[in-house]
Amino acid sequence: MNIILIGMNHKTAPLEIRERLSLTCGNDANHLAEIMKFPEIQEVLYLATCNRVEVLANAVDTAGAVEKLRAFIFHHGNLSAEEMARCLYLHYDDEAVRHLFRVASSIDSMVMGEPQILGQVKDAYRTAVEHNTTGVILNRILHHAFRVAKRVRTETGIAHNAVSVSFAAVELAKKIFGSLEGKTILLIGAGEMSELAARHLLNQGVRKILIANRTYTRALQMAENFHGTATDFDTLAEKLRDVDIVISSTGAPGYVITPPMIEAAIRRRKNRLLFLIDIAVPRDIDPAVNEIDNVYLYNIDNLQDIVDTNVKSRQREAEKAEAIIDEEVGKYLEWFNTLEVVPTIISLREKMEGIVKSELVKSGSWMQNLHEEEKKNIEILAGSIINKILHDPITGLKEESRENGALPYIAALRRLFGLDDV
Amino acid sequence: MMDTMFLKAALAVYFVSALGYVTSLYVRRVMVAKISTWIFFLAFLCHTIFFIFRYLETGQTPVISIHETLSFFAWAMAGMYLAFQPKTKTRVLGAFVSPVTFLLMITASKGLEGYVSIPEVLKSNLVPLHVILSVTGEALFALASCAGAMYLIQEGLIKNKKVSGFSRMLPSLSDLDRINHFCLMWGFPLLTLGVLVGSLWARTAWGSHWQWDPKQVWTLVAWAFYALLLHQRLAIGWKGHKAAFLSLLAFAILLVSLVAINLFFVTAHSFI
Repeated sequence: MNIILIGMNHKTAPLEIRERLSLTCGNDANHLAEIMKFPEIQEVLYLATCNRVEVLANAVDTAGAVEKLRAFIFHHGNLSAEEMARCLYLHYDDEAVRHLFRVASSIDSMVMGEPQILGQVKDAYRTAVEHNTTGVILNRILHHAFRVAKRVRTETGIAHNAVSVSFAAVELAKKIFGSLEGKTILLIGAGEMSELAARHLLNQGVRKILIANRTYTRALQMAENFHGTATDFDTLAEKLRDVDIVISSTGAPGYVITPPMIEAAIRRRKNRLLFLIDIAVPRDIDPAVNEIDNVYLYNIDNLQDIVDTNVKSRQREAEKAEAIIDEEVGKYLEWFNTLEVVPTIISLREKMEGIVKSELVKSGSWMQNLHEEEKKNIEILAGSIINKILHDPITGLKEESRENGALPYIAALRRLFGLDDV
Repeated sequence: MMDTMFLKAALAVYFVSALGYVTSLYVRRVMVAKISTWIFFLAFLCHTIFFIFRYLETGQTPVISIHETLSFFAWAMAGMYLAFQPKTKTRVLGAFVSPVTFLLMITASKGLEGYVSIPEVLKSNLVPLHVILSVTGEALFALASCAGAMYLIQEGLIKNKKVSGFSRMLPSLSDLDRINHFCLMWGFPLLTLGVLVGSLWARTAWGSHWQWDPKQVWTLVAWAFYALLLHQRLAIGWKGHKAAFLSLLAFAILLVSLVAINLFFVTAHSFI
């Protein structure tokens, strides 16, 4: 096996080095063409995302290929020798396969279980296929990786439960309201996290967003961004009547929302449920409002606690995922080992002899009238037909294997004669 | 004979589905709950066929004896749950409903093997109608209280910021409140009609519409609680916590009327 995986990710390399290698978060086909010019390399996949740059290659000459790939990265990333040594990792054969499986399954991601990476790997593979840089080996590894990723996703809880504060807020809102279709949000104040939460909620079908800010012009500005409605800060108490979710993150030193305000609003809104999210420090919403019926208040610490618990549970799930990956790497190796010339010839022969044997059994009824000698002759005849048919393919395979190009033939042979289906 | 066979089948299949539902709570796999729902549906079908055979073989609506009534109660509850199921996507409710159904069926099956001869006084078309209306109403109230109990649990978990564990298994507050509301809306008129039909029959059998029998009084008290709850919901706009709590309280009173009265009180409403 001559598989090489060389690369760097968010754990080994700081951002400024990764971005030197991939200025855009995407896959550049030019790199593929350049790498394919190296005679040591037969197949290649180039994967670049915001968090990683990886080159997966099937080499003719492993040592030479590694040399060339190092030079390639050195050249493009403009890295010093010291940086190269510190940031790059290099995996061979089964470890390379394992690494790719882990990447595709999102175990190696910065946010474990995030779904984008699988799409990015698929894109990288599509680009490689379009430029004809993959063959038997990489095709098999990549398709296997997609299967593993799917297995990990369905068999473990690695992608369950929000691991960011804003998504935790969305999950809570769903726990309270079920569907968010047609609900209304009130966004008080500005802030990165509160705006992100508002965006996520809007993506879930929230119908309307009201925006309140001490400075009305700022509110107008944000309203334009969100396609919402700006509202006067002084009429906040009235607005509480009509909204379902409130996200507050003002810089106010005291409470902006107090129990009497909520109590009045709840009466006017006929007890409809109200979900309050307080992202501000110091807090905007008096914690006492959580005691009021049908009102649910979460502050930034509560949300962070949820996220922490979820991260821990994802880590536990990752252990299950590693076990799945171990098993799948094993399966891959099993397949790979069948790609040797000798085992292929043996199984091809066995298949043919099996066919002859079963046909002879089927013909037993009319052959019983024959003499023993005649039966023997028929068997010998069948055997020599097999030998004649197999002679050319077997000689061809042996010749190709001496020139190191037998793999595609073996794979084709195994596929055409159905040797892997056993 | 066919009826007994299907009764036994229904009992066994209800048991399997209850087991499946409870397992789904532990393993937290939607698939298990999905399969359990289909098994539950199968049990419901067996149960329905039982009713048909029983009706054909005896020629009377099988809702007269206490055992028949319990079995009808279980059937109505199961049917109602299955009817909501696709709309509300709250399979976990099955983990509450299916064990209750099974327990009701166990109790009911003890008296269902043979046929009971019905006293002359009950041979009126009003009696099955009275039972069907009241019991369907009460089954809806039972579902309402299941949803109410789940609401209070889920709400407690959300209020106390314990949302990572069991809370995930429970439906959203809004869905639970909707089920609770729906069951009340339909259960109340059914029970009211049932009581009215009963009192029409009482006039012919006992000579007056109302006897101040303990069973009647308790039912009236429960009915009053449900009336209050419905009023608060529809006119005042009660939702969520208070409504869930009151529906549980009202059902507790109804249970006294349904079970305790027949066991511990002397009542004219006990026949077979």
